[in-house]
Amino acid sequence: MKLSLKLITYLSLIIFSVISIAYVSILDSKVVNKLDGVLWTVPAKVYARPLELAEGGKINVDVLKKELEILSYELTKGIPDTPGEFSQSQRSVNIFIRGFGSQEPGLYRLKIENDKIDSIKRKDGISIDLIQLEPLSIGGMFPSHLQDRILLNFSQVPKDLEEMILVVEDRNFYSHKGISLRSIMRAFIKNTRALGIEEGGSTITQQLAKSLFFSPEQTIKRKIKEAIAALLIEIHYSKQEILLAYINDVFIAQSGRRAIHGFGLASQFFFGTDLKNLSLDQKALLVGMLKGPSLYSPINNPDRAKTRRDLVLSLIKNDSLITEEEYLDLKGRSLKVIPPSFKSLSKYPAFNDIVTLDLRKNFDDSDLRTKGLKIITNLDPVVQDYLEESIKDTKLQLKRRYGSQLNGLEGAGIVIDSFSGEVVAAIGSTKPNNYGFNRAINAVRPIGSLVKPFIYLSALQHYSKYNLSTLLDDSKLSVSLPGGKLWEPNNFDKKFHGNIPLHVALSESYNVATTRLGMDLGYSVVQETFTKLGIKKKIPKYPSIFVGSFEMTPLEVIQAYQTIASEGFYSPLNSIRTVESSEDVLSLSYPYKVEQRFRPEPIYLLKFVLKQTFISGTARGFSSRVIEKWKTGGKTGTSDDQRDSWFVGYAGNYLMVVWLGFDDNRKSPLTGRTGALQVWKNFMSRLDPIAYEVRKPSRIRYEWVDTKDGLLSGERCKGSILIPFVEGTEPEMIPQNRKKCRISEESYTAKVLNKIKEAIEVK
Amino acid sequence: MSLFLGCTSSPKKETNFYDLEVEKFSSSVKLLLTDLEFLKKEILKVNANKPSVQRILIEADDKWMEEDLKKASSALERGLRIAKDESALYLRLAHLRLEQGLIKESSAFAERGLLNKNASSWELLLLKIYSAQK
Repeated sequence: MKLSLKLITYLSLIIFSVISIAYVSILDSKVVNKLDGVLWTVPAKVYARPLELAEGGKINVDVLKKELEILSYELTKGIPDTPGEFSQSQRSVNIFIRGFGSQEPGLYRLKIENDKIDSIKRKDGISIDLIQLEPLSIGGMFPSHLQDRILLNFSQVPKDLEEMILVVEDRNFYSHKGISLRSIMRAFIKNTRALGIEEGGSTITQQLAKSLFFSPEQTIKRKIKEAIAALLIEIHYSKQEILLAYINDVFIAQSGRRAIHGFGLASQFFFGTDLKNLSLDQKALLVGMLKGPSLYSPINNPDRAKTRRDLVLSLIKNDSLITEEEYLDLKGRSLKVIPPSFKSLSKYPAFNDIVTLDLRKNFDDSDLRTKGLKIITNLDPVVQDYLEESIKDTKLQLKRRYGSQLNGLEGAGIVIDSFSGEVVAAIGSTKPNNYGFNRAINAVRPIGSLVKPFIYLSALQHYSKYNLSTLLDDSKLSVSLPGGKLWEPNNFDKKFHGNIPLHVALSESYNVATTRLGMDLGYSVVQETFTKLGIKKKIPKYPSIFVGSFEMTPLEVIQAYQTIASEGFYSPLNSIRTVESSEDVLSLSYPYKVEQRFRPEPIYLLKFVLKQTFISGTARGFSSRVIEKWKTGGKTGTSDDQRDSWFVGYAGNYLMVVWLGFDDNRKSPLTGRTGALQVWKNFMSRLDPIAYEVRKPSRIRYEWVDTKDGLLSGERCKGSILIPFVEGTEPEMIPQNRKKCRISEESYTAKVLNKIKEAIEVK
Repeated sequence: MSLFLGCTSSPKKETNFYDLEVEKFSSSVKLLLTDLEFLKKEILKVNANKPSVQRILIEADDKWMEEDLKKASSALERGLRIAKDESALYLRLAHLRLEQGLIKESSAFAERGLLNKNASSWELLLLKIYSAQK
């Protein structure tokens, strides 16, 4: 009996030892595995483009102010004295830049004259030619645990931050072996007296072990496991490695579903700048939050956070890390944290979808979720905000006008830089912040009259046959379809207009004349133009295709119009500028790609007519000053029964497409003019873009022609218009009755000379 | 200047260097057509009007000298985002794309440069050399 009891005891001890050893071994491999690998899986961060301000560069001050507001810069009176402030006077803007990458933080004064940056000067008066604002963080590619961090190496950790952490969290860090009996005893006595858990007594190593492997509950069992894990960490890693892991891993804040870990990301999250640029009071705030990220959150509990920050400052003062004077100065400062730039997975869901599509061409999913890539996109946050505000405002206005008919109205919009094909903003719904069906890239809809410029461009490339005054036939048309049916297109005004010049047929968007033109050209010629414009789909061979039964997504539409807006130069759409690895070594750049797909002359002629849309066509209503300033042009589109309202138009270097309609494809009261154009107008009026002058192709000549018969006319003749021609294709005939009102070059010169003479005589 | 003025076809017509046929130029100019290194040297002498773009040009030229064509290209594209009316950028991009073996793109950048209203006659002439490659 005695023997068997002994045996049982021995056996129990052996089993316990085996289990303990097995547990410790498992824990040991977990520690090594996590600290060597999993901890360093960092999600990709997605940023907007950084705004560059260049001496001599064009600028719209309102747009600059909006950018500063989006970046949470605070407008102050007088000269800004802390990072994140700006002020404005009549002809200058002062910005205290927070700093980003190689851009030093500091005060910069921008002198602005006539929409141009005249000079940029530092606080000490030295001229600078180029400065960069930090890019807005707009999202990330998160793994399932949704932990987000920016990894730092030891050289990136400021010495004073390290000292501050040790003073506050673990004074004996460099002398203990993972657990501190002294701290545990002190916490034990305090907790016994308080009859509860009041003090942790955990070392930094224990805190690291806790955050890596265990839940936040405070039980004796968990404390023992935590202590074992801490001892194992100390066996495998140096003190410096442990401290760095802690600085990179510690949980600091929660933003929606995203967990903010580590000081690197916390610095960006709360102050919008790199850790190296933080002041001592800012670092103290972060260190103070370690005790209770939610309790001491400067966003939710600013008073508590300030008290805690001041306590940290007094602790480092007591340790002589700062002087009494410095302490009083730092203590007097307000918290000045910035609100989170985004709360869910991405600030701009529709744009994020486009970025993801582009990224998938070069990266697999696991790279994006684990390799800490820094993705600089082409998103312009001001343009994006204007786009979102425009669609929301316009929808409200339209609902006021049309009432419940517009319940459930949806929409999409994309803005690109037409010069480069860079996608700068996108929305996939009239509620732009909602996730879900992204109409900008997925809604395949009939494009209505947006197809017409493609047909006319096909014609205008054949100089010898077509020019802007070529007469097209807009009389009744019947086309026999296979199966014996007849198809008879009609115009929007339900009228036929006989013979009309080509430019009128396009600017008035006549369906019948366009169908005849398309049929005369042939499907293969039109198909060739479609392909050159970057449209990958094959056009079906039925005539209704020429008046807009062709279906495209807004993204496909804007690609096709990019080549037109950009003088015939095709650039593939692109939402990403660069992708960098976490060590800031360039991983992948997305260079400008440009290909001349059309000669400048036919594009010039087409753009002349697209400008007429604004002067006298379906987009009329803008002042001539605005039309000239923006160098604008565009086209409205309405599908059958007004199920789709489209507008695509350029102003300055911006090209924008808007679609409005219903997901269930029901009829709407909106045409391209009354719906989508209103969003475009609202948007461009906010942005008020500045256009670059483009040289007129040398073979272009202007002639006065008649708006009805397309023959030569004169400035003084009724119903005449001055339109461009490719040299040698101008009409030669002039009707007898117009010879008198056509001013010849000689008589015009004589007229000018007479006027000068008169002026001299008057003087 | 007089060398080019003689090439205009009609005395009435205003001189427009965009119209000139490069093959008709004198032998000294023809050197530009035959010697790529000589052409590159000429291209690198073209400066930007804006100091900010000039700084970027220097950065790009340095990278180019180090034969880091990708970074040189990135810098020039950054310049284009700041100013689209600097011929120096188009010229360098046209030559750089040529070195990268992208002849169509080289020509396209030159054609774009030809539409720049601020381009000088000399810059237009140089751009024409690249645009004529197609």
